[in-house]
Amino acid sequence: MNTAAPLQAPLQAPLLHLERLSVRYGRIAALEEVDLEVRSGELVTLLGSNGAGKSTTLKAISQLVAPSGGAVRWRGQSLKGVATETTVRLGIGHCPEGRRVLSRQSVATNLELGAYLRRDHSGIATDLERCYGLFPRLAERRSQLAGSLSGGEQQMLAIARALMGRPTLLMLDEPSLGLAPKLVAEVMGILAELHRQGLSILLVEQNARAALAIASRGYLLEAGRVSRSGSATELLDDEGLQASYLGR
Amino acid sequence: MPLDASLLVQMLLGALLGLSVYLPLRAGQLSLATPGFYAIGGYTAALLSTRFPALAGDGALYPLPSLLLELVLAALIAGALALAIGGPVLKLKGIYLAIATIALVEILRVLNLNLGFTGGATGLFAIPQPFEGPVGYLLLSLAVLALVCWLCARLERLRLGRAMEAIREDELAAACMGLDTARVKLLSFLFSALVAAVAGVISAHFLNTWNARQGSFDASITTLAFVVFGGSRTWLGPVVGGLALTALPELLRPVGDLRLVVYGLVILLGPILFPQGLITPELLRRLRWPFRQTSAEAPAP
Ligand SMILES: Nc1ncnc2c1ncn2[C@@H]1O[C@H](COP(=O)(O)OP(=O)(O)OP(=O)(O)O)[C@@H](O)[C@H]1O
Ligand SMILES: [Mg+2]
Repeated sequence: MNTAAPLQAPLQAPLLHLERLSVRYGRIAALEEVDLEVRSGELVTLLGSNGAGKSTTLKAISQLVAPSGGAVRWRGQSLKGVATETTVRLGIGHCPEGRRVLSRQSVATNLELGAYLRRDHSGIATDLERCYGLFPRLAERRSQLAGSLSGGEQQMLAIARALMGRPTLLMLDEPSLGLAPKLVAEVMGILAELHRQGLSILLVEQNARAALAIASRGYLLEAGRVSRSGSATELLDDEGLQASYLGR
Repeated sequence: MPLDASLLVQMLLGALLGLSVYLPLRAGQLSLATPGFYAIGGYTAALLSTRFPALAGDGALYPLPSLLLELVLAALIAGALALAIGGPVLKLKGIYLAIATIALVEILRVLNLNLGFTGGATGLFAIPQPFEGPVGYLLLSLAVLALVCWLCARLERLRLGRAMEAIREDELAAACMGLDTARVKLLSFLFSALVAAVAGVISAHFLNTWNARQGSFDASITTLAFVVFGGSRTWLGPVVGGLALTALPELLRPVGDLRLVVYGLVILLGPILFPQGLITPELLRRLRWPFRQTSAEAPAP
């Protein structure tokens, strides 16, 4: 029988918790003492300009880079030293910057590879259909090579592929990058819908307005440090943020 | 020169070595260690068959069970070495991995040249013959090549084969999908070592003698050429490359000194005319090759 204490801890702990997380690339400090949390069911956005350290944050969470200090906690447990494979297994989906679909493989194969760690064949089939429902354009092109998709379609494929791993937390690295405004709205709409269905999301964006429109909370990263954080409405009203990130 | 049985055996062994370079390349790893593992196979066979009279039996021919034992032992030794060095070495990327694996081949060559039990520079002689003539070797090599090809064709359709292809296309994306990239790369390196070691065992008996020259830097480049020429995206590529480029110098003998020029031209023009190699999955699909279902192809909707 478990005692009450270990049961309580995960209930109170946020899904994802970065504690004074620091990352260095040689002598460059990319992240310095970043504190951030995502609670279950939240859609949190991480904003910042080029080189602020947004991608590095996601890579540190996925253990693609090793932190030089601080901790990444998943449901209260430190992820120190675990393999990237394990973070995926634990439910952290990472949709990396720049789409990175496997261009010589078909849309369907890309999606199947997204479910690489799963063995529940019927569940995979269900999720595949769900993805095709969410992204009808992928359904029409399922046997087409991913490299021949348009940029927007590739972004949708990248998101769908991450969903195929059935993550608890979906981390997206600048999904609006290089998309026309109409497509940005479409992608944001889909993320909002996934959030409504209960998925926890950590959304990295430079497009602060689009991200804050669907997020409940946000963090602003500047030169590797969190300079502001708060609810989406607070951040939208923040004068400093308005001047430099919302173009008002 | 006629396409005799001896040349055919060399061609089949060339195809095996091509596959040995192809396997890690499928996972995006440019390893040139193939001649090193080939040398290990050859020395294992040469030492066991010449130094252990018990294995040689009393008949005129070297017993096949002893040959089988050599194959197993060579695979074990090469496999163990691949697993031992694969971890650290495969952390290197691209050309750095190529250089490190060339260094491995050179270290093995210098060791073999200087160790007492490997026969030094002269090597090992009078390796006993399990077959009366080249036809026996031809059948054995053909059987081994067919088996390795079949395994490679299966691999291309298996989860592991798809994982290899994904790593080759984009290692970071593959890691994000939850692939254990280090393990997949290590397995591809292991397979490469096993195939090369098996080829080495057959080759040592076939050549009747074995020395340090069998596993040299030159061989790293030659075997790489098999794959570059034939194509590295499907198993048939290195097979065709290995067969063709092993046969070419022999078939060109009638043109005398010109043959090296022609050989060089073929190696040069191949990649220019066929940047992806002679055989690509797309080509096979166009030709409706019966085993065309590679991982690049979409499953039926
Ligand atoms: N592999 C690396 N080696 C060295 N420095 C790196 C590496 N990756 C990132 N950096 C540096 O770390 C800092 C943060 O980079 P990061 O990619 O996290 O920024 P970002 O916020 O994602 O920017 P962008 O919006 O342009 O994608 C930058 O100064 C960058 O130059
Ligand atoms: Mg980035």
